[in-house]
Amino acid sequence: MATVANYSNIFVRYDLIGAGEAKGVKVSSKDASIQKVLQCVLDGDSDNIAAAVNAALADKDPMTIINEGLIKGMNEVSRLWDEGEYYLPQAMVASDAMLQGLDICEVKLGKALEKKGTVITHTAEGDIHDLGQKIVNALLRANGFEVVDLGKDVPVDDVVAAVKKHKPALVTGTALMTTTMTAFERISNRLLKDGFETPFVCGGGAVSQEYVTGYKLGVYGKDASQAPGMASDAVNGLNWGQLREKWNN
Amino acid sequence: MPKYDKMAYASADEMIFGTAKNPVKYGRDFTVGGGYVYPELVPHPRPGTEATKKTLVKEYEKMVTDVLDRCVAIGIPGIQVELEHVYQMTRNPDWGGEIAAATKHLQEEYFKKYGLKSAIRATIADYRKPDEEDIRNCSALDATLKTFETSASGGADNLSIESVGGKEISDYAIVRQDIRGTLFGIGVLGSKDMEFMWKRVVDIAAKYGATPGGDTNCAQANVAMFMAGGYQDRSVPHTFAALARAIAGARSLVAYEQGAKGPSKDCGYEDVIVKAITGNPIAMEGKTCACAHSDLLGNLVAACCDLWSNEAVEYHDMFGGTSVAVFTEILGYDVALMNTAIEAGQAKMLRDLFVQSDKYRDTHGFILCPENAYEIGKAIINNNTSYYARARAAAIKSGELMLGDSKLQMSAFEKESLQSAMRTLESLPDKEEDFISECTDIYKKLIPGFTLANYGL
Repeated sequence: MATVANYSNIFVRYDLIGAGEAKGVKVSSKDASIQKVLQCVLDGDSDNIAAAVNAALADKDPMTIINEGLIKGMNEVSRLWDEGEYYLPQAMVASDAMLQGLDICEVKLGKALEKKGTVITHTAEGDIHDLGQKIVNALLRANGFEVVDLGKDVPVDDVVAAVKKHKPALVTGTALMTTTMTAFERISNRLLKDGFETPFVCGGGAVSQEYVTGYKLGVYGKDASQAPGMASDAVNGLNWGQLREKWNN
Repeated sequence: MPKYDKMAYASADEMIFGTAKNPVKYGRDFTVGGGYVYPELVPHPRPGTEATKKTLVKEYEKMVTDVLDRCVAIGIPGIQVELEHVYQMTRNPDWGGEIAAATKHLQEEYFKKYGLKSAIRATIADYRKPDEEDIRNCSALDATLKTFETSASGGADNLSIESVGGKEISDYAIVRQDIRGTLFGIGVLGSKDMEFMWKRVVDIAAKYGATPGGDTNCAQANVAMFMAGGYQDRSVPHTFAALARAIAGARSLVAYEQGAKGPSKDCGYEDVIVKAITGNPIAMEGKTCACAHSDLLGNLVAACCDLWSNEAVEYHDMFGGTSVAVFTEILGYDVALMNTAIEAGQAKMLRDLFVQSDKYRDTHGFILCPENAYEIGKAIINNNTSYYARARAAAIKSGELMLGDSKLQMSAFEKESLQSAMRTLESLPDKEEDFISECTDIYKKLIPGFTLANYGL
């Protein structure tokens, strides 16, 4: 068998450069019960979040738990993911735990927390590959947005109807294939015709920036992790052209 | 139920590109695994051409003509063209049938004029929605089965699919690095759905004299691999993706247990494990599928291929001709090198060089090098009491192999991810029924629409 003694001119393991330098979590709470909630989010511990939140609710108001435990924990998870110390799964399980804790706090508050804004998400007509959309949903919800999830294989008419009904700050579309992403341009044209200029963030396997920025309203979403930032910008008043200028240049 | 209880090969060293224990002959004088490698070109229509049958048929005629012309231009002895269905080709069975017929007509012309050997694979789309409908009785299944029929009667030689059973669980599990859910979604539910689907595909193939080819785990193990990505990506750990791949080896085997003959489909990276067990020929893709996606085993994955594929290339002009012609040429020269090595008695040397290029580049290449794929295959056949048992054994063996070779470097995060998954795998129940019961309790609460009835449970 052919053997090799030195691989350095065959491949370089760039993933190992700086890999040992994890700096870890940088947030904590002095309050023991809040710290437990925070830790459950950081660990993505859906099994114990309910107990931790309920214990904290015994003597803390829900908004304190939400701000100092749940949101603080999720923000730290996002930072760790941005810096490459956490991977997507850690962010997903953290958002699962965080949203579970939020549900409990909202029941105690007697009302749902006011959301930053509404986003409609869907996977293109004829396409059942909705994993990207599911990731976007989780990240948007964990970042305080109301998500109207239309599901997968959604007819163009249904997307347009949903925009008219909910008047969201943003619409997202996911498609794995080039032959299903063609629905996005039809959606854009229909929305414009009906007087809507809702920014339409499109992404997915074969979807390209060149294609998405070829029609009005289109903003290319390269990665699901961009969704909360784009949604925030849309809520803060950036139109589709400005979003495109910021995120697609 | 599992059927394979022995390996087709006495050792990994017996496995080589171009030769399978059970070669398949079909098409126009086209033999896969009979001693030489052939290219498999997958053309993809441009967006917009799917709008009507007329525009799509025309697009395929142009693409296939360009492919066959390039074969003649540079002397490629034979080629398989894969018609990988866009959704519209399956949703409208007559479209799939007409495109198969148009492709066959062209291939027959070139065979008659030049003796260019050829064949057609039709890969029918599976657009069932396991979390929304009865996947054993729905219009999407009806369309898929009908399109198998129209494609076979239209002239497809090889019938293949990338079935999606278990995807609703594995999608949830993969992005949460949940090995139990991944094992359940791929190893158990995926296998059970394969059994259901492939009984039907094999029957249809027999009815029309076509060959039931194979079924890749694109919807699950490839999702994990794509999400693991390259060295800079932080979506899914590479060690986790490798475990998912090993599990997929156990799942993709089910097609052959129901009567599929191969060659398996190109994006089934797990198929080197399958070849070790079945001896059936396999199509593989690596560096030449960079037009569709990246991977970290672009050379290694050719080690045991019988067809060498480009996965899918969209039809466009390039400086060197249309994209489909260009990739035909690239594939053609790749297989010419492999066939030269065969003729010169140097096939094993070339195979080993392919392997050494990528064995330690990443965990995926590591577990899929013939030597390790063979060991995973042995774990599968030695634990064939149930789909679950053999899939779990495949995962554990692949983890042991990764942890047991110091030349395979891993970051601390990747190693801890792998060790955590191994602890979970070791702690799982031994019996399939207990595992199914445990998973049902967990995932019914987490995944709306998940129903055991979809899997005959």
